[in-house]
Amino acid sequence: MKPVLLIAINFAREQRWPMLTLLLWVLLLAFLGLVSDIHRQRDDLLFVFKLDAVYVSAFSIFFGGSAIYNERRSRRILAVLSKAVGRQQYLSGLVLGVTIACAVYCFALGMTGSWTVGAAGFPISHVWFLMVCLLAACALAGTVALMFSTFLNPFFAAGATAMVLGLPALAGQFLGPHWGYVIPVWELGATVVNSSFESPGTASWFPIVLAGVETLAFWLLSARIFAYVDIAVAVE
Amino acid sequence: MRLVLEFDNVTKEYRSFASKRRLRALDGFSLTVEAGEIFGFLGPNGAGKTTAIHLAMGFMRPTSGTGRLLGERFGHPGTRRRVGFLAESVALYHRRAERLVRFYGALNGMSGKHLEDRARQVLEIVGLQDHANRNAGKFSRGMLQRVGLAQAIVNDPELLILDEPTSALDPLSRVMVRELLLNARNAGKTVFLSSHLLSEVELVCDRVAVLHRGRLARMGRTTDLLQAGDQTEIVVRAIAVTQFKGAVARDGVVSFSVPAPNQREALEKVWNLGGEVVSVNPLRRSLEEIFLEVTADPQSATSKGVQ
Repeated sequence: MKPVLLIAINFAREQRWPMLTLLLWVLLLAFLGLVSDIHRQRDDLLFVFKLDAVYVSAFSIFFGGSAIYNERRSRRILAVLSKAVGRQQYLSGLVLGVTIACAVYCFALGMTGSWTVGAAGFPISHVWFLMVCLLAACALAGTVALMFSTFLNPFFAAGATAMVLGLPALAGQFLGPHWGYVIPVWELGATVVNSSFESPGTASWFPIVLAGVETLAFWLLSARIFAYVDIAVAVE
Repeated sequence: MRLVLEFDNVTKEYRSFASKRRLRALDGFSLTVEAGEIFGFLGPNGAGKTTAIHLAMGFMRPTSGTGRLLGERFGHPGTRRRVGFLAESVALYHRRAERLVRFYGALNGMSGKHLEDRARQVLEIVGLQDHANRNAGKFSRGMLQRVGLAQAIVNDPELLILDEPTSALDPLSRVMVRELLLNARNAGKTVFLSSHLLSEVELVCDRVAVLHRGRLARMGRTTDLLQAGDQTEIVVRAIAVTQFKGAVARDGVVSFSVPAPNQREALEKVWNLGGEVVSVNPLRRSLEEIFLEVTADPQSATSKGVQ
């Protein structure tokens, strides 16, 4: 477990600059929200809050899809995998690292959301529920992206992830809503995006639990694939 | 003698997904490294040295054949706890040197005061004790290579696998690495050293292997390889250089080589001519000569990229 935590923390640390930029963006928007007339512009505030939520979903795919590629390209993966670290542990560290990075962002968004949309009348407890939905969606999306990145370059991994996450949502539109729960990233995202002051949305834990289980399943699948992948690195 | 590294008929092919081309980097490669020796692993660029090392470390899987590292199949994570590895063109995270070494030590299961003390100790060994709190991202390539060496030895490994450990180092640092390798051997450790610096290899390695086009072209004890068959070099004074075929005059002495069975006859001729014998030694070749001979010989290895 210790190597997993070390790799996860190290990954989150390596993402500190994009994370800081995202956090500053959240803080800036929260500040602008607070200096404006909260009650007159509450719908705008909620829109910005949702927009920030969409960003982290996209970033989780970016983090997950590029993690292995960046480590291989920089050749840093060699020093890590030359230690008593199994491939499965290494991937676990990356999944946990992506989740930590997204959790930091979700926490910041939850805090600023509580100040802004909370002050405008949105239930604060529901802000945090939405953040849990968002984090579950990010963890799953990041893990799917990581799985594809074990054998595809980041560009194709992101495309394949978008397809895998989007197809159930599309099926949900045409074949019935339960199809949307096959891979519930879209459903979880919809919970955040469709919430409003009038109808904050129902707090269903089912898609969150399902996302957790699927994150585990995709992690196992990634570990299985990664065990057979050659760690070829660029030669200078 | 206990074997710490074994390659048994290992072949490794790289396949290009798009063009379906295959490149055979290793072709039926077999090699054994014994405990307590410094083993030199030589070969020209593209010979397959790094591929062999990466297979041993479990970064890749052989296309065919098997291998064992410290008695376990290649790729066994627990075994790597007893191995120290330094990659060619070392790349490390941008952290303070001491923290970086501690990070890699912790990945090997080390912790607490022992790890802190050991991190400081290995930084001192590689001469970076004064830079322990500097960010490795701002280090020169040579300093980075020394941090790489520090992280490789932090766990006090039984087997050190070093891929070009001195390529970016200045002469002083090279001496430091040489001492480190010799100390490791004296402590009963094994060193598997891949290097292009043949003079270094010649100085420290007990055995060497030359890899060429994915195949083992030459292997043996360094002393045996350097022995130039049955030739003897004779250095004399006070005779004309023309008296012996191929003789060379330099700094007041004349040197020439003769087959060992003809040594007595040559010496008698020198004495008969009134000359003075300065030295008689078995002729030694340099590792560079052997390397060039092996890599120039098309029969020494026949593996190549296959379509």
